[in-house]
Amino acid sequence: MAARTEGVPVVPGDVLTVEGLSTSIRLRKSAVDVVKGVDLRLRPGETLGLVGESGSGKSMTGLSIMGLLPPGGHIAAGSIKLDGRELVGLPERQYQKVRGNEIAMVFQDPMTSLNPTKTIGEQVAEPIRLHLGATPKQARERALDMLALVGIARPAERMGNYPHQLSGGLRQRVMIAMALSCEPKVLIADEPTTALDVTVQAQVLRLLHDLKDRLGMAMLLITHDMGVIARWADRVSVMYAGGMVESATTDRLFAGMRHPYTQALLACTPRLTQRRESALFSIPGSPPDLEHPPAGCRFAARCAHATDRCEREAPALTEPAPGHTLACWHPVEGPLEPAARPVEAAPKAADDQAGPVLVADGLVKEYGTGRLSLRRSARAVNAVSGVSFAVRPGQTFGLVGESGCGKSTLARMIVALEKPTSGSVTALGGALGELRGRDLRRHRRNLQMMFQDSLDALDPRMRVGAILREPFEAQGIGTAAEQLAAIRELLDEVGLPHSALERYPHEFSGGQRQRIALARALALNPRVIVADEPVSALDVSVRSQVLNLMKRLQATHDLTYVVISHDLTVVRYIADIVGVMYLGKLVEVGSADDVYLRAVHPYTAGLIAAIPEPDPGAAEPAGGLDIGSELPSPLDPPSGCRFRTRCPRAQARCAEEEPVLLGFGPGHSAACHFPLREPQPAVPAG
Amino acid sequence: MTQYVLRRLVTSVIVVLGVSVITFMLLHGMSGSPGRAILGVQASAEAVAAFDREHGYDRSLIAQYLAYLGQLLQGDLGHSYKLNQSVNALLADNAGRTAMLAGVSLVLAVCVAVPLGVFQAVKRNSVGDNVLTTLTFVAYSMPVFLLAMLLIQVFALGLGILPAQASQSSSTFVIFTEPRAMLLPVLTLTGITVALYSRYQRSAALDQLAQDYIRVARAKGLSMRMVLTRHLLRNACLPLVTLIGMTIPLLLAGNLVVESVFNYPGLGLLFFNSLNNQDYPVLLGYTLVASVLTVLGNLLADLVVAVSDPRTQRA
Repeated sequence: MAARTEGVPVVPGDVLTVEGLSTSIRLRKSAVDVVKGVDLRLRPGETLGLVGESGSGKSMTGLSIMGLLPPGGHIAAGSIKLDGRELVGLPERQYQKVRGNEIAMVFQDPMTSLNPTKTIGEQVAEPIRLHLGATPKQARERALDMLALVGIARPAERMGNYPHQLSGGLRQRVMIAMALSCEPKVLIADEPTTALDVTVQAQVLRLLHDLKDRLGMAMLLITHDMGVIARWADRVSVMYAGGMVESATTDRLFAGMRHPYTQALLACTPRLTQRRESALFSIPGSPPDLEHPPAGCRFAARCAHATDRCEREAPALTEPAPGHTLACWHPVEGPLEPAARPVEAAPKAADDQAGPVLVADGLVKEYGTGRLSLRRSARAVNAVSGVSFAVRPGQTFGLVGESGCGKSTLARMIVALEKPTSGSVTALGGALGELRGRDLRRHRRNLQMMFQDSLDALDPRMRVGAILREPFEAQGIGTAAEQLAAIRELLDEVGLPHSALERYPHEFSGGQRQRIALARALALNPRVIVADEPVSALDVSVRSQVLNLMKRLQATHDLTYVVISHDLTVVRYIADIVGVMYLGKLVEVGSADDVYLRAVHPYTAGLIAAIPEPDPGAAEPAGGLDIGSELPSPLDPPSGCRFRTRCPRAQARCAEEEPVLLGFGPGHSAACHFPLREPQPAVPAG
Repeated sequence: MTQYVLRRLVTSVIVVLGVSVITFMLLHGMSGSPGRAILGVQASAEAVAAFDREHGYDRSLIAQYLAYLGQLLQGDLGHSYKLNQSVNALLADNAGRTAMLAGVSLVLAVCVAVPLGVFQAVKRNSVGDNVLTTLTFVAYSMPVFLLAMLLIQVFALGLGILPAQASQSSSTFVIFTEPRAMLLPVLTLTGITVALYSRYQRSAALDQLAQDYIRVARAKGLSMRMVLTRHLLRNACLPLVTLIGMTIPLLLAGNLVVESVFNYPGLGLLFFNSLNNQDYPVLLGYTLVASVLTVLGNLLADLVVAVSDPRTQRA
């Protein structure tokens, strides 16, 4: 639709040029244009960031370049040139010589991207034998070098390992070794760190960046994360609903964006500096259905600046300044001022005098590892080992930590879906461990849970009406008419139309489904809601809608939340009290300001430093806070302080003596022998 | 590993014991006196009672079962009064031919079903896939005897190119010495298993094709053929191995029908004849051997999966 008068001029020296690329996927009845008129240029040694939400066509652009479109997908128009050589229409046999050799790709999920029944060595050596004609021995040697190059310790030993024996971060390093083994000219990294923990993310991105410089490659970095873009990309192209809306150098784009979508996308990215009192910026609505694309600008329906013209006529890509391209009828000037929009209903200050509504006391959960399966010895994994905390009514307790630290197990114990091995949970004055059958069922009314993947958490064969009615039926509340009235009220509260009652979960977008999940959790008017990664599956613009909604509902219903997230910025926004977990232990607890501004545990400080801020000018994190390596196995936790193996401050004492929680201020405590600040012994820990 | 195998063997013994109890009770519950069955309807009541007393059939069921179990532990499966031979000898005589028929059919079925399933998965929803799906569905839902009759009708009675009866030779390797005479039984038995295996293989291959590592292999520059042979095949066959272990009873039951229809002297025919003659010791012996085979087959399948899937071996 973008009426183009001329293509992007091929500047000599560009290693990859994409012009007017349109890709469509045939469905049963229609064809969907997943990519529409995309232009890209990539110079050697350069990183181009391709940013957009899910469904924006950024991955399809990458797959188009690789010639690896899913079944039914084909390039409808445009050209892709590698060193001046046209790739569109290249016979499959010749394309195979390009893939993995001249253009390589790293995918998102390292857990599923390696063949489970082949050794690491075989898999890394495969492209070397294929493209460089190496003998098995030569390929093995080169594979070994590559594993060492991507920073894998003891590479010779790893060569014989199978993927399941490696952690996620190591697997992604193997993926990178595999992709770079033939020294490609272009590397396409599609969300390379989205499935990884924030500490590992920083390491992997630095590795990619260094290797790109060393090998003189060009890199196309596809991501949804403005923070990753700000730190690692030289230039940025923003995609929305299949089309390119804006491109510029990273500095220029972040400081002087012109497209309203770029502006909004940056504004709704949560930051560590986000003020808790003001609502997060969010983009209303959701991206258009590409099966029936709007006639005009695809962003018009969600744009604050849209006029009649935007809805009628698609804007063409223009170049308002050299190197800065834009497709918009009504450009804006630069980023949005940090709006001081108050939360619609200001949360009541938590009552300091009131007794806690939820108390966890010395919670321990041990799992036996599968005794009946092959070659496994019976050992216990300490998923949670001795966690205590208390939450007062109306407060939000945020729990952060890397994957595998036991935070989800803890959540399930809080709502009595899992029985603690020892320790107890007291909710609303009742000890959950002592409740049985009927009493426990009645107690559950006040304790509800929300899950990460709302598609998994909602029965696909139940209509939304039945899903929302179920809690009432389980507790035997109200007549059918009363239930229906209550359900309608719930839908109003979470901002869904009443017509939703008759539809099935898969007919809704991720954000809408999370609203349904929230309505279900709210149905019985509970006192406490435990939310396990409530927004991690959502796109950033929708994420802020859901977070704002959760905050508003907390104020109107006087809810107490326990919010679990690996995303520190989310917890920063929503939590009053923050607990940091490491390998089943709580290492630091304090108010959000205590933890984020005055962290005392080196782990907390390292986690915070690893978060990429969506600001190209942000200072590199201080070197001393780097958390090396990865989470040790919970099967065999380190002696003494469990964090010592990754801690930059660890000394002999840390291996011998387990640190206890010490007070660092009112309500602020941490367990560390060598904290970043001096403890205040006068103040009791708690 | 050895610990695992030992544990599985112990449970296997318990399962087989359970099977022996149930079949023993069922068979004896169906007909009051084995003496009547053996001596025939014309025999006098006194003669039957005398027979029962002589062979211990007048004792309680539990006493009879314990006596039978005592025999079993010595490796004695009993004596067939009808055929006047020990059950051990009867089974041993016929087992080889049946194993040959079932084994050859199984190997053929796997050789056909694996490529067929992978082909269908790669070309999913194409005309070829739909045609093959329809064919395998028809074969899958067809009773074994009907398939056998159809094949006889077409190839023996219609075209007259193959004999309608299997070879009557007592050689174990008759399949290889007289392939023409054995083609129809083998085809019938292969047909029913191919239908099941290929449908299974198709869905297993589809599951694997959707995995990211397949796309990664393509991104390395491998051709589709190399991706299939080097990466997909092994992973897509693991579920089939388990299925083969589970379908051993199906194969034995198929043998029963095929051997009866084609009059092939094997365990199936022996069982069929014993059923008509109410020859309980043979029926019991066959059932026990079949349950042992089933249990062992499953154990073997699990071991094969364990050996070929590194994820089940924790270092």
